[in-house]
Amino acid sequence: MAILIDRETQVLIQGITGKVGSFQTQIMKEYGTKIVAGVTPGKGGTEIFGIPVYDLVEEAVVEHRIDAAFSFVPARFAKEGAMEVINSGVPFLVLTAEGIPEQDVLEVVHFVKIRGAKVLGPDTPGLISPGKCKLGVHPHAMFKEGPVGVLSRSGSLSYEVGRVLTANGIGQSTVVGIGGGPIWGLSQQTVLKMFQDDPETKAVVLLGEVGGRMEHEAAEFIGKSMTKSVIVLIVGQMAPKGSQMGHAGAIIEGDEGTAESKIAALEKAGALVARSSLEIPMIIKKIGV
Amino acid sequence: MRLLEFQAKRILTEYGIPVPQSVLMISPEDLRKVSFPAVLKAQLPIGGRGKAGAIRIARGAEEGASMIRDLFSATVKGYPVEAILAEELIDVQKELYVAYLIDKQANLPLLMASVGGGVEIEEVSKKTPEQIVKRHVDPFLGIQDFLVRPLAKALKVDDFQSFRKLVETMVRIFHEKDATLVEINPLAMTTKGLVALDAKILLDDKAAYRQQDLFKTLQAEQKQLDKRVKTRPEQLAERTGITYVPLDGDVGMIADGAGTGMLTLDLIHLYGGRAANFCEMGGLSNADTMEKSIDVILSNPRVKVLLIGLIGGMTRMDEMADGIVQYVKKAGQTLPIVVRMCGTKADIGKARLKEVGIEAYEDLSAAVQDAVSQGKEL
Repeated sequence: MAILIDRETQVLIQGITGKVGSFQTQIMKEYGTKIVAGVTPGKGGTEIFGIPVYDLVEEAVVEHRIDAAFSFVPARFAKEGAMEVINSGVPFLVLTAEGIPEQDVLEVVHFVKIRGAKVLGPDTPGLISPGKCKLGVHPHAMFKEGPVGVLSRSGSLSYEVGRVLTANGIGQSTVVGIGGGPIWGLSQQTVLKMFQDDPETKAVVLLGEVGGRMEHEAAEFIGKSMTKSVIVLIVGQMAPKGSQMGHAGAIIEGDEGTAESKIAALEKAGALVARSSLEIPMIIKKIGV
Repeated sequence: MRLLEFQAKRILTEYGIPVPQSVLMISPEDLRKVSFPAVLKAQLPIGGRGKAGAIRIARGAEEGASMIRDLFSATVKGYPVEAILAEELIDVQKELYVAYLIDKQANLPLLMASVGGGVEIEEVSKKTPEQIVKRHVDPFLGIQDFLVRPLAKALKVDDFQSFRKLVETMVRIFHEKDATLVEINPLAMTTKGLVALDAKILLDDKAAYRQQDLFKTLQAEQKQLDKRVKTRPEQLAERTGITYVPLDGDVGMIADGAGTGMLTLDLIHLYGGRAANFCEMGGLSNADTMEKSIDVILSNPRVKVLLIGLIGGMTRMDEMADGIVQYVKKAGQTLPIVVRMCGTKADIGKARLKEVGIEAYEDLSAAVQDAVSQGKEL
């Protein structure tokens, strides 16, 4: 199997009847994702695309085995929604909303940890295991099944790299968007470990960016525990200090979080550094995955 | 949002944390309201004001008057001084550091204190990290005695109850105002108890929707005191809500994602060009956002060529193309526009661009190279 999701993953969509939620649900369902339930308060008892809709997550989990949930709940209600999902015993949640207050994210991430669950995001396009399952909003024609795991802070950058890999005949095991930060549920390090343990993944592409210290922690993990090749691309090398580069987490504060320091740490840990998206398939072909 | 010192201190005062008596001066004429000796502190959204000469101690009125004139005519790290907080001089026994913040590595709130008050904490953590005491706080447990005691011990605070009360109050401010940092540095130990000599508060912009009155007041004050000259694109960008970062080159750029936007910036450099800006439209943009973004970028007279890089996930390429077409039909194509377009509904989008003579690229690198070389020819 790929990491986090596979063909058998049974999915609940929170906010299934909303404009974006219903549009993306239909695309995911057509892709082959097993969406077994949806939740929208007040719409319980109805159906959408043949999927039963419930008022409450706790009602859905009585009727179905839910392996993962995808939240389309807008930022200001996202904490409440996420807490409901986790409190109902769902083990994995993708939190897509951008702009959730940081204290709310902190509480969600903490509750998830206490309950032994996992949360991906927030501010993430989700994840896709090409050919198996799509729990996200990716333009999926850019991806194909294969041996390379991809993890990215940026959604758009993961599409870009997925497209370049696919165009070069290199498929992907799972493409994971961990989110724009500055607070993350699943970190780069956690996802790297999953790829390291996944027999279908032969090499990993890590797409990082300026801001914060997460890539340094990832570098430490790569140096100590990764036997698979890790190819990295860090974007924002030309980003000026102190400016927020579109992601809440992409800001160089003082001397911390520069692309140079991240690249140096990752290179020292044995990762292979690409200078552009086009170099990634070249490196992968050279090492022969 | 970073609060100015007087704004942060006003919040501390509301919550009963002692601060020095003060007068906020917005012109040299306010001198008559100040009594000396006084500490004169330029109100600027930057750290290290002491070292930059933006904080002075005036012993008498004459000295004070000349310092105030100096400060009001100064520009510190790009910020013209528009306000000075004149404070009473406090008799300090010891200076401490206390902060409550979000630790983004641990995903937990962090309570932090040090005996090295008055210095920037980054400096203390580099030179004497052993002076800093940190305790993570379980958000569901909150502040407990056992978390505050190790800090009080390290700081050699003799009145534990008032220290605990101070910490609790800082945590209340943190939660009730949606802060990401509440820092008192230095916190002075005086014969009359603890006094906050300086304060830094960062508020979470993402929580502005539930702190509307507070944000409105603070922003209005800051706007009035910020006399930095804004360029036309900066002014326009503020109104549209897109991310716009000015740079000093001549290749204007727009992206529909933060990651690809940063990659585009790096590629422009890699292929020998210089970007005029960074611009990201955000995930839920439509034709209107696209058109307005072009307006923003092209209002910069240095831009010679415009590069639009689009890889739709949430954004739809037919809508993006409509935005570009709308712009060209309205303003005419005054300079080269290079477009990279792929993703959701890209076929429709590309066909619409063709109608106004724009042949969109599929590949980002090719588009960047074309834009850079067209910029050089001009």
